[in-house]
Parts: sequence; C-alpha cells; structure tokens
Amino acid sequence: MAGRSDERMGAVGFLALICLIACAQVGEAIWLTIPSSGTKCISEEIRSGVIVLADYYIVDDEQGHIGTSTISARVTSPYGNNLHHNENVTHGQFAFTTTEAGNYVACFWINGHRQEGVGLKIGVDWKIGVAAKDWESVAKKEKIEGVELELTKLEGAIEAIHSNLIYLKDREAEMREVSETTNARVAWFSIMSLGVCIVVSILQLWYLRIYFQKKKLI
Amino acid sequence: MEARHRPAKLLVSIFLIWSFLVNPISSLSVTVNDVECVYEYVLYEGDTVSGNYVVVDHDIFWSSDHPGIDFTVTSPAGNSVHTQKGTSGDKFEFKAPRSGMYKFCFHNPYSTPETVSFYIHVGHIPNEHDLAKDEHLDPINVKIAELREALESVTSEQKYLKARDTRHRHTNESTRKRVIYYTLAEYLLLACVSSLQVFYIRRLFSKSVAYNRV
Repeated sequence: MAGRSDERMGAVGFLALICLIACAQVGEAIWLTIPSSGTKCISEEIRSGVIVLADYYIVDDEQGHIGTSTISARVTSPYGNNLHHNENVTHGQFAFTTTEAGNYVACFWINGHRQEGVGLKIGVDWKIGVAAKDWESVAKKEKIEGVELELTKLEGAIEAIHSNLIYLKDREAEMREVSETTNARVAWFSIMSLGVCIVVSILQLWYLRIYFQKKKLI
Repeated sequence: MEARHRPAKLLVSIFLIWSFLVNPISSLSVTVNDVECVYEYVLYEGDTVSGNYVVVDHDIFWSSDHPGIDFTVTSPAGNSVHTQKGTSGDKFEFKAPRSGMYKFCFHNPYSTPETVSFYIHVGHIPNEHDLAKDEHLDPINVKIAELREALESVTSEQKYLKARDTRHRHTNESTRKRVIYYTLAEYLLLACVSSLQVFYIRRLFSKSVAYNRV
C-alpha cells in the first residue's frame, strides 16, 4: 500500500514537473475552470495569415486525483471547419495558420462522469502572431544571441504593432462605409415611409369613395 | 512532500534565469453566463499587472438598459486587489502585492450571456536585487526589459482598441439590420392596418349589419 502511494506521488510529481516545465518553456498561460457538465469555450477574432499556437493541460483536480480526469478539446474555424479534435487526453497542443478572418473557438469539456458542481482547472497557453514565433530556431539560423536576440524580438514586436495598426485602420474604414450607408438609409427610408403613408391613405379614401358611390350612399 | 519540493525549486530557478523572457498572451474572449474566472500566475512581488476587458457581444435588445459587467481581481491571499462595477469595458493596472495565483473574475448580473474579450499582462522589470543575484544580467537587460514593457503597453492599448472596434462593429451591424427589417415590417404593417380599416368600414355599411341597427 505504502509502495503504491509512493509510486503514485512520484508519478504525480513527475507529471506536475512536466506540466510546469512545459509552462516555463512556452511562457505564460491562463487557467480556466471547466464546469462539471457542459463545455467551456474561449474564442478570439483573428485575421487571415496568422500563426496560432496553443497548448492545453489539466492543472488541478479539486478532488486531488490528477491522473483520473481527462478532457476533450475541439477547435473550430469561423466557417465551421474542425481544425483540431482530441478526446480523452490530459494535455495536448495544436498549431495552425489561419486562412479565414473571423472568430476561432476552442472548446473544452470533461470526459466521464463527474460530481455536480466540481469543476476542473485547465491551463491554456494561447499564442498568436509574433508571440508564437520560435526565437530559438531564428537565433540558431542567424547565429545571434544575447542582446542582439532581444533587440530582434523587440523589432518583431514593433513590426507586429505596425501591421496590427494598419489592419485596424482598414477595419475602421469598412465600418465607416457601413455607418454612412446606414445613415443614408435611415433618411431615405423615413421619407419613404411618409410617402407610403400618404399613398396608402389616398388609396383608402379612393377605394371607399368608389365603394360608397356603388352603394349609392353619396 | 520532498519529491514535490524538488521540481518546484527547479521550476523557480528556470523562471529566474528566463525571468525577463515573460511572454504576453493573446486577447481571448470568454462568454460570461454568471461568473467566469480566469487565473494568472504572478511570479514576483511588485510586478505590474495590467490589462483590459471589453464586453464585445450581447443579445440584449435595449442595450442601454444593461448595467454592465462587474470585474474583480483577487490576490492569492484572498483579498480583492481591484474592483470595477457595472462597466462595459475598462483598462486596469496594479502592482501585485505578492506573488502567486491571481484570480480575475467577471460577474454578469443579468441572465443573458455576454461575451467578454480580455487581455492580461504581467510585466517584470529586473531591479538591482535581481542584478546582484544573477551575474548574467547586465544593466542593459534592465533597459531592454523597460523597452519591452513600453512596447507591451502599446500592444495592450491596441488590443483594447481592437476589442472596442469589434463591439462598435457589432452595434453597427445590428443597426443596419434593424433599419432594413424594421422599415420593411413597418411598411407591411401600415398596408395591413389600412386594408383592415377599409374592410371594417365596409362591414359597418353592409346591409346585414345596417338592418340590425334600430
């Protein structure tokens, strides 16, 4: 009995170490609580041509047995295509380059039967664009290190800011078009409704006049 | 217990060496039905935790009636570090009083689900204490970290603007649809009501009704 619990502690410790080291190497991650029934979804609106890199793992089981719960994950593109689907795992990762602009949704749910109200904490490390860039391979390829590497990373960040700003400007221009069209339509439709009102009342009066004349009331 | 402490010590040393390589996360959206909490780990006491959140999408008909979302940040000790009630989006920034797991909670007082787009960034600038501890850190690393944090604040502001723009776009789309559909419905209703009026007047003057009037 004691030997088994030692082994178990060792396995739990090892798994925690793997998870924590993965966390350290990949960077910051947020933790979410998956409800005992139902799914927890996170989404992000991404434009096309952006690299998405994500890592998810079970962090803490509130009942203490980290090894017995498994989760499933599904990632869908804005047009409904299934980009990643994993069932009954304790950790996983996915990477893709976006082809469509829109809302990308990643949903997680717990497999198996759970007590009501007891959730499961998972860690999700979601990185897009320049944050997903593999700087180690760039450093090896270009043979740069130390301060030069740091400054190259800053340069990448600045380029990302610039391209995001241009994208925001384009989006704002599109939205302005829609706003101005709606503005013109409001004016046009309101005047037209006045016209429709007058036309309908003239038709009414004309019809009633003919009707009463037919009935010889006027 | 010993087996558990060793990986933790290894982890802390790894984090210490790469302390100034903290990466930001993306601005994610989550749907808040009642309470949604997101946890983020703060490595060092005194780190600046900054971020923003915007309520992006909601199905409420009269949107000006919605009181907004409540936002609370709880420190690992359990006390509330930052609170913001009844807003549709805001920026926040605070100095972490201690290291540990911080809880960022959104509370939706209404029953209609809301989608909240949030971004949290934990920024650490190595100070003299860290410089003394680790001989690999130059004063230039401090300057680079400061530069990185400044760029981070620009990126954070951009993400906030993007989320606000998304919210504005949803409102615009909704306005556009409302203008078209409500105007068409208005015209149809007008035509229906006036034809009903005509039929009613005809009925008033029909012989079967007129003869029953004394």
